[in-house]
Amino acid sequence: MNPRGPGASIGDAGTHEPGQNPPTLAPDRTTLAWTRSALNVAGSGILIARAAFMADLDALGVASAIAIAAIALLTWRHGQRIDGDRGLQGSPAHHQPVALRWLTAATLLIGVVAIVVTVAI
Amino acid sequence: MSDSSFETGASPSEKPAAAESPHADLGDGSAGRGRELRRRRLWGAWHERRLEQTGSDLDPRFTFANERTFLAWNRTALALIAAGLAAAQFLKFNLHGLRLIIAVPLIVLGAVLALASYSHWEDSERAMRLRQPLRYSWMPRVLSGGIVAIALLGGILAIIDRLAH
Repeated sequence: MNPRGPGASIGDAGTHEPGQNPPTLAPDRTTLAWTRSALNVAGSGILIARAAFMADLDALGVASAIAIAAIALLTWRHGQRIDGDRGLQGSPAHHQPVALRWLTAATLLIGVVAIVVTVAI
Repeated sequence: MSDSSFETGASPSEKPAAAESPHADLGDGSAGRGRELRRRRLWGAWHERRLEQTGSDLDPRFTFANERTFLAWNRTALALIAAGLAAAQFLKFNLHGLRLIIAVPLIVLGAVLALASYSHWEDSERAMRLRQPLRYSWMPRVLSGGIVAIALLGGILAIIDRLAH
């Protein structure tokens, strides 16, 4: 479904029904931001796994690689949902404390593993 | 913008959902793990509803912009953690342990920013829903100061390392 509403186009940018949200590219930009975050998580995972293997922490390397790959996938998937579920014309854009809290927790976990691996190298 | 007039008179108070207390469905203690999971799920749902019930609905663009700002800070935090890891792997000092003095503060700074970014997102969301002015963030100052301090530290350590060998 078109997140800017059915049939919305550049020509509609200045006109919208009262009570409806105006056509906007905000959902697209937000989806892209989630995608960039997923790529960042994946990049961190590669660095952590590489450092863990360098420090002969093979089990930690494999576990963190799998976990971080899953986090990156979920992050990307969450961003894709924006087009489907959120930002539709006339509907409120629900804020998502739970999703953001999970991403924060995942980042902190990555930081903890990074410190462990850094000290072990 | 459907909701852009920030009226100072409108001061909707926060209405926490009292119906579902996290302790409402406690059993006899035999299924501790399941109960804990249920309690966490209820807490997450309650928290989300509580923020959603604060003030009034926003123009979705504000919510999306706030979310993107959070994501940008989170990426900055991840980049700092990655920089710390890279410093640990690629910096070659003669004195053992010097690289840790650069790598660990970078990772810690990243973790602090990750935590602060969530708190900042929540504060901003709440302020916007209550039609209050947004608060200035201390994060840019800490980020700039931290990077400058770590860069200076790195330079000093490189000189010490060179002089020592």
